[in-house]
Amino acid sequence: MSDHNTLGEILRERGVSRRGFLKFCTATASMMALPPTMTMAVAEALEKAPRPSVIWLSFQECTGCTESLTRSHAPTIESLIFDHVSLDYHHTLQAASGDAAEAAREEAMHAHHGKYLLVVDGSIPLGDPGFSTIAGISNLDMLKETAEGAAAIIAVGTCAAFGGLPHAAPNPTGAVSVSDIIKDKPIVNVSGCPPIPSVITGVLAHFLTFGGLPELDQYGRPMVFFGQSIHDRCYRRPFYDKGLFAETFDDEGARKGWCLYRLGCKGPMTYNACATMKWNQGTSWPIESGHGCLGCSEPDFWDAGGFYKALSIPTSDLAGAIGTGLGVGAAVGIAAGAMAHKKKTDAEHEREPLTVEQLEGES
Amino acid sequence: MSGTSLQRGLKAWMEEMDAPVASFFSSCVHCGICAEACLFYTETGDPKYTPIHKLEPMRRFWQQEFTLFGKLLKTVGLSKPVTDEELEEWETLVYDSCTLCGRCSMACPVGNDITYMIRKAREGFVASGHVPKGMVGAAGRAIRIGSPMGVKLSALEAQIRHIENDTGLKIPVDVEGADYMALLSSMEIMNFPEYIEALARIFKQAGVSWTLCSEAFEATNSGIQIGSKDIARQLVQRVVDGAEKLGVKYVISPECGHAYFAIRWEGPNLIGREYKFEVVHILELLDQLRAKGRLKVSEKFDERLTFHDPCQIVRKGGVLAETRNLMGMIASNFVEMEDHREHNWCCGGGGGVSSNERADELRIKVFSRKKKQLDAVAPETLVTACANCRLMLEDGLEEYHMELPVTGLTEMIAEKLVEEEK
Repeated sequence: MSDHNTLGEILRERGVSRRGFLKFCTATASMMALPPTMTMAVAEALEKAPRPSVIWLSFQECTGCTESLTRSHAPTIESLIFDHVSLDYHHTLQAASGDAAEAAREEAMHAHHGKYLLVVDGSIPLGDPGFSTIAGISNLDMLKETAEGAAAIIAVGTCAAFGGLPHAAPNPTGAVSVSDIIKDKPIVNVSGCPPIPSVITGVLAHFLTFGGLPELDQYGRPMVFFGQSIHDRCYRRPFYDKGLFAETFDDEGARKGWCLYRLGCKGPMTYNACATMKWNQGTSWPIESGHGCLGCSEPDFWDAGGFYKALSIPTSDLAGAIGTGLGVGAAVGIAAGAMAHKKKTDAEHEREPLTVEQLEGES
Repeated sequence: MSGTSLQRGLKAWMEEMDAPVASFFSSCVHCGICAEACLFYTETGDPKYTPIHKLEPMRRFWQQEFTLFGKLLKTVGLSKPVTDEELEEWETLVYDSCTLCGRCSMACPVGNDITYMIRKAREGFVASGHVPKGMVGAAGRAIRIGSPMGVKLSALEAQIRHIENDTGLKIPVDVEGADYMALLSSMEIMNFPEYIEALARIFKQAGVSWTLCSEAFEATNSGIQIGSKDIARQLVQRVVDGAEKLGVKYVISPECGHAYFAIRWEGPNLIGREYKFEVVHILELLDQLRAKGRLKVSEKFDERLTFHDPCQIVRKGGVLAETRNLMGMIASNFVEMEDHREHNWCCGGGGGVSSNERADELRIKVFSRKKKQLDAVAPETLVTACANCRLMLEDGLEEYHMELPVTGLTEMIAEKLVEEEK
């Protein structure tokens, strides 16, 4: 694969049709909440995009993030897009080892200085540099050195984004996130344990299309994927609204697919795209499989008080206040509805049948 | 109130707003997928043809009248009231570039029935006088003469005499107590009388008791197309009166798309009561006869045949399996176009576009979609089941210099019918 190939050429070589490619672009544009007219712009930009150099550093991690991205059942366009980047260094995937591997990293850093994308998975131990090293270099040193010439950094997974599992109390290694160390580079946190593959490629596609990073939320996560809570987009939400909850994993409610809030679902405080994009090529996602959300894309999710412990339940006073509020709200709503209905029925009562003579008189 | 006016148009919209419209407008996520489903967008690439965009004035009206936020925007002047000029500009979007084919409604990921709303939007356009001239002419002829093409009973009688003389078959008219009353479209009477002959031959062979009605033979409904329920109601009422006078059990909708939609789906809502008869589409009836062994063919056609699914009959009407059962009966070399059945692309002339001369140029341009579909499978004959589709297909094929005969399914069956003396 030559460095000069554009993405369009590579996809065609791999047998991806123009139609398939445009479908992907439409999906990506709509996923990123771009107007439909942007589809062609996305397609054009992606087709012509030269291969960006990517250096992928793995620190205190489990390789789950890499697995999430590369282990799809069939080769998807997402994985091909990913193939398209010039992945110059990734110690799980690269063939080279030892000095040769480090030489590849250094070469990429010099050849593409200021232009390469740095992807990081895993947290960085500050307790003792010896806790995690690669080729004798501590994670902290390697991150600082590699980040210096990067155009932008994508922190993939909750470990790199927020410290993740290694950061969980009592945090024996003194693990911290990428953004705790690097302050002078644009950083996107693609959190999740692991993150959804198309969210990773969505960020890459955005970078290739617009040459910059998407809009971020207060935790540095792309708004388009992390803008809404799991709870707000959950298909079991109507049961929550009706107060229908599963109390155990084998009761009537669980069998009927009621809300898992009381079984510890963290959906209401978790922002991620699982409910809409799902997993394994749209097959399912945790709540659809009958288990509450763990909240894995949120900071310190491991210390949020137990996966099966329900989030706070309103006290009776609060319930009373809500009840009154609901009553008032409903009354206002009903009144507004009645007014709207009156407008409609008035219009119906006052109508005179239209005749063709009237029509002809006007045209 | 006499005559049409903006005020009357807005009042009509006020009346049309219902729970589905409110939920559709509130649940649109602006994804733009409906654009890709619309041949006017795919063939021109112009975003103004995005189906939901065609409803923009009505959406704003709904927002201003029925939502708190809209009222607020209107009060502070951020949301402008709908004007006559705006409706005039939108008239071409609502009439010339929408065939009510229903493909956008099917594609919408949140289930918005956009076609349902366009049908409602047209009520406001009609009442405000923003309607294409050609469609007003057709509606006028339908009300006064009884047919949008101006076909009178005498013309039908002349065709009946021709067919009876040529074939020796009897075409029953005004037979009280017959089981079935057949409707015809003007196009069938004037352009494709083969259909009437096919009915006579098939029904004779299958032993179906049927009749035409001299007071209600026209199936088409210009009121539905132009978007006026007042006009549509009068036209449906004629058919209902005719059928109930003759006391038939069934009314047969012919090979005409919107006629089926009008009489089968909109009709009872328009007249406000149930019919005393049932409506069947001719293909439904033929498939029933086939299943009972009352309809047989002597041999199949060898040539490569494909079927153009009329939107109103297949996608919106639900007559799906019947079309393929019947094609299977007559075709030995049947080939499906890539997007078929409920995914088929419109001929470009439905929803009144065919009687709107102003839209001709655009209609021919977007026929390129059908051309691509046909080029990919290269059939030797194109079969369909809608006289309007058939005319539009013939017109498009001629404009694009394509040599391809177009025919109706009922006629094809009649051509190979096993006719035994009884």
